[in-house]
Order: sequence, then C-alpha cells, then structure tokens
Amino acid sequence: MSTPLFWLGVGCVLWLLGLHGLLTLRNAVRRIIAINLMGSGVFLVMVALAIRERPGDPVLVALVVTGLVVAVSATALALRLSGQLARARKGDA
Amino acid sequence: MNAALLSLFAPLAGGLLLVLWRPARAGLALGVALVSLLAAAAALHQVADGTRQWLEVGGWAPPLAIRLQLTPLSALLLLFTAGLHLLVAVYAARRPHAIGGADFWPLACLLHAALAALWLSADLFNLYVTLELLGLAAVALVALAGEKAQRPALDYLLLSLAGSLAYLLGVAILYGRYGVLDLFLLGEQATADAPTRLALLLMTLGLMLKGALWPLHLWLPAAHSSAPAAVSALLSALVVKGPLYILWLLWTRLAPTELAVQAGPLLAGAGALALLAGGWAALRTPLLKSLVAYSTVAQLGYALLALGLAMHWQEPRLEAALWLFVVAHGLAKVSMFLAAGELQHTLGGKRVVTLKGASQTLPVTMFTFVTAGVSLIGLPPSGGFLAKWLLLQPLLERPQHWGWALAVVLGTLMSAAYVFRVVAHGFDRARPQPPQVRPDRFGQWLTLLPALLVFGLALIGERMLPWLEGVSR
Repeated sequence: MSTPLFWLGVGCVLWLLGLHGLLTLRNAVRRIIAINLMGSGVFLVMVALAIRERPGDPVLVALVVTGLVVAVSATALALRLSGQLARARKGDA
Repeated sequence: MNAALLSLFAPLAGGLLLVLWRPARAGLALGVALVSLLAAAAALHQVADGTRQWLEVGGWAPPLAIRLQLTPLSALLLLFTAGLHLLVAVYAARRPHAIGGADFWPLACLLHAALAALWLSADLFNLYVTLELLGLAAVALVALAGEKAQRPALDYLLLSLAGSLAYLLGVAILYGRYGVLDLFLLGEQATADAPTRLALLLMTLGLMLKGALWPLHLWLPAAHSSAPAAVSALLSALVVKGPLYILWLLWTRLAPTELAVQAGPLLAGAGALALLAGGWAALRTPLLKSLVAYSTVAQLGYALLALGLAMHWQEPRLEAALWLFVVAHGLAKVSMFLAAGELQHTLGGKRVVTLKGASQTLPVTMFTFVTAGVSLIGLPPSGGFLAKWLLLQPLLERPQHWGWALAVVLGTLMSAAYVFRVVAHGFDRARPQPPQVRPDRFGQWLTLLPALLVFGLALIGERMLPWLEGVSR
C-alpha cells in the first residue's frame, strides 16, 4: 500500500469515528472532541492528497492551514458555550 | 463589481468597528445597512441585463485564482440581504427587547458580510469559509437570548460544524480528482464517476444539514424559536438560504447533467415530505415561535421541491420559482417572526393559546401576522402566490406530474391550517389575554413593512418573472 493511500484511509476512518461520536455521545466536551476528530480526518485526507506528488501540492496545504484557523475559532466558541451551559447547570443544582 | 464589493465591505468594516466602538451602535448599524442596500441596488443595475462580472482576487489567473462573480442573481440576493437587514435593524432600533443585548449589532453586521461574501463566491473553498463565518455568527446571535438558548445554540453549532466538515470532505475529494476549486472550471471537467458522486453526496448532505432541509432539519425549531425575535427573523429569512444557494450552484453549475437528472427526484421527494412533515409539526406545536420555525421547515420544502424538479427536468422556469420562493419567504418570515416576538413580549406568554383576543389588544401586529401568513399560504396577490404559480405551471402541463402538484396543494392546505390556527385564537374575544406591557403602536407598524413588500412583489411580477427566468439560466 502506498503512503498517500494509507493516510487517506486513516483520514476517512477518523472522519467516520468523529461522526459516530457526535451522533452517539451526549456530553458537550466529548462532542466537541468528536467534531475536532472529524476535522482532523478531513485535514489528513487533504494532506494525503497533497503528498501524491513531490514536492507536495501547496494549494492543499494552504487549505489545511485556513481550515485549521476556522476549526480553532469554532472550537473556542463551542467551549465557551459549553462552559456557560455547565455553569448554568451548577447554578440550578 | 465595485458596487457589489462596497455592499460586502460596508457591513464587514461596520461589524469590526462596532466590536470596538460601543456608543451609538444602532445608528451606525443602520447606516451600514443603508449603504450596503444602495450599493447592492447599484450592482443590480449594472448587471440587470444579464451580464456577468468577474473579479480575480489578487490578480491571479485561473486555475489558481479565487474568483468572485457578480451575476444578476447574486446582485438580487445582495439587495435582498441588505434590504432585510435594514428592515430588521429599523425595528430592532425601536424595540430593544427584540435583540437580546447590544452585541446584536456587530454580530448582525458580520452575518450580513458573511452572506454577501457567500452570494459573490465562485470557489468551493471560499464558499466553505463563508459558510463557516455564517454559521459562527448565527450561533453567537442565538446565544444572545441568554441561558435558555445555550443548549440549542451549542447543538446548532455542533451540527453546523458537522455539516461543514461533510462539505469540506467533498471539496477535498473533488480537488483530489480534478485539481481545481473554481466552480466553473470544475463544471467544465466534471464527469459522472465514483469520486464525483461521493463528493456530491457528501456536500449535498452537509449543505442539507446546514440549511435545515428535511430530514436534517431537527436542530432548526429549537434554535430559531429560542433566539431573540430579531435574530429568529434573520436566521429564518436569510441564513438557511445560504446553503440552499450553494446547493443550487453545485447541482446546476458543477454536477454533470446526467447526475443532476438522477438526483433530482430524491431532492424533490425530500422537499415534498418537508412540506407535509413541517406543516404537520407546525399544526401540533403548542408554542407560537416554534410554529413559525416549523413553518420555515415546510416552506424550505417548496424551494427544495423546485430545485429537485428543476434538476430532473432541466427546466429554467422552476429555478425562477426557487428564487422567487426564497425572496417571498424571506420577506414574509421576517414580518411573521417580528410579529410573533411582539405578540409574545406584549402578551407575556409563549403559547399559541395566549393570543386570545389579540385582534383587539394588538390589531396591527395580528394584521401583520395574517398578511405574512397570506403570502406563505400563497394567496393572490402576494409574492408567495407568484412563486407557487410559477412552480405549478410546469407541474400541471403533463398529467404524469400531477402527483407533485398534489404535494404542493397539500402543503398549501397545511400552511393555511397553521396560519388560521393562530388567527382563530386571535379572534377569540370571549376572554382576551390582557397585555402585560403597553403595546407600542409604531413598533407594530414596523413589523408590517416587510409583509407589505411581499405584496409589492406581486405588483412588479409581470416584469419580474420573465427577467428571473432569463437570469437564472
């Protein structure tokens, strides 16, 4: 099996694992981690596609970098929301 | 193109400025929406004859370039977005209870900018970025409603991210297969092979999840009904239309015709079921705002039905119907959500039954609700009627298409039923619900404005229909 194909497979498996986690887990932080796993899966697929040729495809690398920025900001918002949620629940109890 | 760019950068700059600068936020936001509206009108004027303008960002040539395109349709959507933002901002400036805090203003401006960028993009990855911006701004706006909205906001965020990542995986597969990201270059090269099919499937599912298209709509009622009224109006009228636009671009510009013909009936079937399921849920729900939110699910069904059948039969008239639906539904839904918020605030109850006697205590708001409802049902002379007329024409031409027409008729009956459910309570004057706060007459008239514009659409319908058919080709 060639290296890009291997990482392509790993990326797809990560994506599916993340999706499964998002659909089955109930804890907010676990679901946020699941989403990040999905994101890492997509980025891994992109990197695997980029290393098919030497030197690697710079467009895909640029996409991954942009995608990471988006993922970080989305995760920050999600963590903030889940933190407020947990605090509100503690206030009720 | 410059006018379109101004229409995009005015809200972007305004939004960033408003984050830093707190006093007189409402005034600045109103000014931004007005500038953007005028610029969008100028852009529409430039391309109204059906021309198409391109901007290659940074001067790079395709295939490396990130291109922006200005078509008559994207100019129309820019105008629609800016107009709705202005209408909502005017109302929100008058009625601060409807926005859930001063942070509404910068976020609404950023939402406006994200949508404007979405209408102008012609590059798959750029579309992904605009989708994410749109989603993040929308989630932050929902969370403005405070504690009760945090759970729906988090669910909305996570599902929206899942949708984006499905879309992004599709983009990666398409890039891996063809080596370009530009929508129109892809459209020239795309063939109906396995990677393309898989990519289109992933992207379609992701966009359906983000656009709350049946059966992936389950997050919408909770998110839209727990948000502050002005936010619900923006979300229902505009935000769900962004993914729909990308779906339309994918299937009419990128996908090989053969695949579009195959996938059409699936999307149209989902649309027909959305009409029935959404209508039924709106009939059953005890809460006023979730009734309006479920009506969005049902109304998106018409748009999906029009899109699916347009793909299946390659019929431009149905594409015109799709865009007319989007515009008419947007205007009517803004009015309806603002009216629902006004009723809820003044009467102090969330349930449909608290509207008893509202025709007496809040006559103008009740009138707004009914006027918007008339367009959603599709009674003449409203924009909703025009759209439905355009949708039904090709369906009625051949007897083998009458099954689809039946779904449209059933959907219409359902929407009439849930609008009349509200009206019946409003006219039940036996034991009217006393207002909790003094009704604001001017605010009530402001909610009516968008609904009147839907009726204005009917007045210019004769000229608009042939134009829309021409430009959506």
